[in-house]
Amino acid sequence: MKELKHRFSSGFFIVLALALLISGSSNTSLVNAVRGQITDFFVPILSVASRPLQAVDDLIGWTQQVAIVFSENQRLLAENAQLKQARITSSQLAIDNQRLKRLLNVGEGQVNIIAAARVVSDSDSPFFKSVLINRGTDDGVLKGRAVINEDGIVGRIINAGSSSSRVLLATDINSHIPIKLASSGINMILEGDNSPYPKLGFLPIGEEISVGDLILTSGYGMVFPPDLPVGQVLEITEEGIKIKLSAKLYNLNYVSIMGYEIIRSPVSRPVSRMGDRSSKGRE
Amino acid sequence: MMKGPESKSERGFRWALPSLSILGLIILMQLPYRISFLDNLLPFLPMAAVYYWGIFKPNLVPVSAVFFLGLLQDVLSGGPLGMMALLLILVRLFVVQQGRRFLEREFLFSWMVFFVVSLIFGLATWAIASIYLREPQYIWDALGQSMLTIAVFPVIVWGLGLFRLMLVAEKR
Repeated sequence: MKELKHRFSSGFFIVLALALLISGSSNTSLVNAVRGQITDFFVPILSVASRPLQAVDDLIGWTQQVAIVFSENQRLLAENAQLKQARITSSQLAIDNQRLKRLLNVGEGQVNIIAAARVVSDSDSPFFKSVLINRGTDDGVLKGRAVINEDGIVGRIINAGSSSSRVLLATDINSHIPIKLASSGINMILEGDNSPYPKLGFLPIGEEISVGDLILTSGYGMVFPPDLPVGQVLEITEEGIKIKLSAKLYNLNYVSIMGYEIIRSPVSRPVSRMGDRSSKGRE
Repeated sequence: MMKGPESKSERGFRWALPSLSILGLIILMQLPYRISFLDNLLPFLPMAAVYYWGIFKPNLVPVSAVFFLGLLQDVLSGGPLGMMALLLILVRLFVVQQGRRFLEREFLFSWMVFFVVSLIFGLATWAIASIYLREPQYIWDALGQSMLTIAVFPVIVWGLGLFRLMLVAEKR
């Protein structure tokens, strides 16, 4: 009898697991809500458990910084001189850019940082690339928002609980981000393939691209604002073009969640007589 | 390293220790290690724990507990719901059915069987992920995880053995 009960129990849970596996691919809102609530519960635990790792990481970082402090200072002094020159040029260009945009009535993208978050968990699988962060809907984080760090793009929110969210990394196979080549402005798609180096898709035939070319976000898709650093072309082979991302996705600590929307300045139009007549007719 | 089964009834908070140890390993796997390529090569720690407890204390890790722990791993890792739940139940089912035969042998024999179980587990995760994502995935990552799991198995047996000693100590 006990053996029979055990077998029934095993069979029941195997069928349940299979049913979840088959139906779970649809990712319904109910499933996402339950996932969100469970992660909300575990994020404080993960946050505390990851503190020692954070301390070790900080110690290694500090040791590395101390070791290279002299050479780094020399490099920064040289870079500072270059940046001062570049700032003068860029401020002139910014003024020109604003003037031309006003003339063309180009819609301005409004970017606002919704929240800064700490990465508390990393997916443990080579097939699913995502991280958990300790900010959720209570902090204004919504599904679909862009996630960046100081180096460049990281990914986008795919599930938001009240105090935690899951970020789909740019390297995940389900990640597709509109990008452009900085030098020529050719629009393409950055496609994750679960490897550390995502590939470029939809490169127009005849367009030239070379190793080291800079890749930026294009702004299409309304998730990432344009001109955020994405990475550089790493290698070009017959199998595809691989990109080395600017952000080190294996070494994420703090990230920012970003909101982006286009705001167009209202265009004043003269009231037409035709419009007046039709509105009167309706009355 | 491995000893025979303790057959007396389990009481007190002891019943929760094996499940808590698996939960601890699930949380350990989710932590951000910030080391390049390590996220592709994390060993299947909860699977090794289910294998261990399946041999020594199958009554303390019932199928329902294994199911919910597997489901929790799926939720926390962002993987497909049911994948780890299914695979961990299958590991438990296999071990419980064969358990006594393992116990009659030496640790080395159990490790050899674990070698095969771990490889099949890795292949199964690769197959399910490939079907789920509708694209063949890189198989060597899964096999790498399996190999690493096999390598750390003695450490896991040692660690979980300490938990088992706690069970015995409390029983006294």
